[in-house]
Amino acid sequence: MKLLHLTIISLICAVAVVAVPASAGPADITVTSSTLDPSVLMKGDTGTLTVEIKNNGAGSVTIKSARLFGNGVVALSDSYPSVGEIGAGNAKTFTFTVRADGGEGTFYPMFVLDFLDAGSLRYPVPVQVEDTPLSASVVGKPDAFSEGRTADITVRVGNPRPNAASGVQVIPQGTGFAVTPTGAFVGALASDGSATALFNLTPTAETDVTFQVVWRNGINTHSVDLALPVAFGEDKRQADPLITNVEVTPEAGGYRIVGDVTNAGLEPARSVLVTAGAPATPTDPFRVYVVGTLDPDDASPFEVTFRTDANVTEVPIAVEYRDSDGNRYTTTTMVEVAGGTAAAPLEERDGGIPLVGIIVAALVALGIAGAIYYSWRRK
Amino acid sequence: MGMRGTIVMNTGSIRVLLDPGRFFEERMQDEPGLKIPALIVLVYGLISAVAAALAVNMVIAILPAEAQAFGAIGVAFAVVGAVIMGFLAWIICAAVFYIFSMLFKGKGSFTRTLEFTSYGLLPQIFGGIIGTAFSYQVISNLTIPSVTNPEQIAEISESLAGIIAADPLTQIAGLLGILFVLWSANIWIFGMKYARNLSTRDAALTVGIPVALYIAYILITLVGWL
Repeated sequence: MKLLHLTIISLICAVAVVAVPASAGPADITVTSSTLDPSVLMKGDTGTLTVEIKNNGAGSVTIKSARLFGNGVVALSDSYPSVGEIGAGNAKTFTFTVRADGGEGTFYPMFVLDFLDAGSLRYPVPVQVEDTPLSASVVGKPDAFSEGRTADITVRVGNPRPNAASGVQVIPQGTGFAVTPTGAFVGALASDGSATALFNLTPTAETDVTFQVVWRNGINTHSVDLALPVAFGEDKRQADPLITNVEVTPEAGGYRIVGDVTNAGLEPARSVLVTAGAPATPTDPFRVYVVGTLDPDDASPFEVTFRTDANVTEVPIAVEYRDSDGNRYTTTTMVEVAGGTAAAPLEERDGGIPLVGIIVAALVALGIAGAIYYSWRRK
Repeated sequence: MGMRGTIVMNTGSIRVLLDPGRFFEERMQDEPGLKIPALIVLVYGLISAVAAALAVNMVIAILPAEAQAFGAIGVAFAVVGAVIMGFLAWIICAAVFYIFSMLFKGKGSFTRTLEFTSYGLLPQIFGGIIGTAFSYQVISNLTIPSVTNPEQIAEISESLAGIIAADPLTQIAGLLGILFVLWSANIWIFGMKYARNLSTRDAALTVGIPVALYIAYILITLVGWL
């Protein structure tokens, strides 16, 4: 009977011994997935690498530690020192902070699981590093910039990267201009996607405008600059008021200039004013002649009156106009007065000397009338 | 004779201006003489010459510096021309009065008509002085631009003429000229009455018709300028 008991115990032990290898082991642990956020790093970027493992065996497996190491992409966070058991059919994730310290390419930092019993699992995790920045280009700008004239600038931002960019902004930077809006927020930009940002730029001097494109790749902020040189030039379409058919007429105390102002440009000139500039002094009745809007190829007569000093031979006739944005422009045309076509009265004589003349005339008339009357009376 | 002549002319001048009737009546006692009349016309011509010289001077100022040398010649021509014109005006006036008085069966020599006509030109001397003063006033107020381009000379002369015509002083001077012509006409009426032995009415018509035509012409010119 004792022997029977012993045999049963031995059998149970034997079964137990046989049964243990059949339960679970390191071979049942597999890496089911690895994800990187952001999915593609740029040089120097920091991201999080998440590795998921699963126990496919029938029993639990005890894991001593989990760690990540490698070149090019290095783990910044500590390894997992004591992970513990992982039950049958269970999954577990390990997250590491990594930084792309190397160049571009695909790196394989090694994920290592050390088991309590023996052995370890080594799994190379692919990490892609690509340094291509977002692209920015000016797709719309005027033919020429002019001082104080508002120009529409369109900037297109494209994402040639294999992953999406977030928080994309375009911020104009520099001095010597005013811009609205002061920054454009584009937001997320999917891979191979693009977006445009519109700016109203009003330069006050020749300058370089830098459009800084800022975006985030995961938690990493990047920027790229797009330079737009602003050089003043002649707008090919702008209004071009010309003065023709000028006729200078001297009159008491000054001159009267009549002529035509014609818009030889391609855009309408608005609020057109014609006046005489220094050294002339505009006088009534036509200090300023308001022409109004001059469409392209339209002409309008004008008339200005002014006086000048005697030694002035040329007088600038200024045409002032605005474009559709309200920017003010002035063009001047020199018109010869005394030197070429007329003699200038030395000074304004309104009433002064003629009054003396009238008195002399009246006295003479009285004298003559008296003489004639006297000659007939004496007869 | 020269000294006495001057005195006679001086006292005569005053008398003919204020009392032409009695003056001519007394002159009829003497033989017709043309010395004093010629002197009067010469003075009249010289006064006109001063005005002409002023005008020529202004035109010369327009010319470029190289052409300024002609200035003296121009002024000389103007002076001589004005004096000749004065004598011509005298003879023409006398001839016109002589011919008109023939319509009223006037009797008397042309020399007498010539003599008395010249006395009628005396107010023109005063008129000339005042007119010249006015012209000087107008011209001295102008700035004459100098030019190099001959084409511009005509243009400037034209605009100068426009300015001078537009000046109120010019118009006042024109009206004054008419007043002096009226004064002259008054003297001429008395002159013709005696020189051509006319009634006062016929003498007035003899002088009045051509003078009225002349004044009408002047007025039209003045209004045309306005």
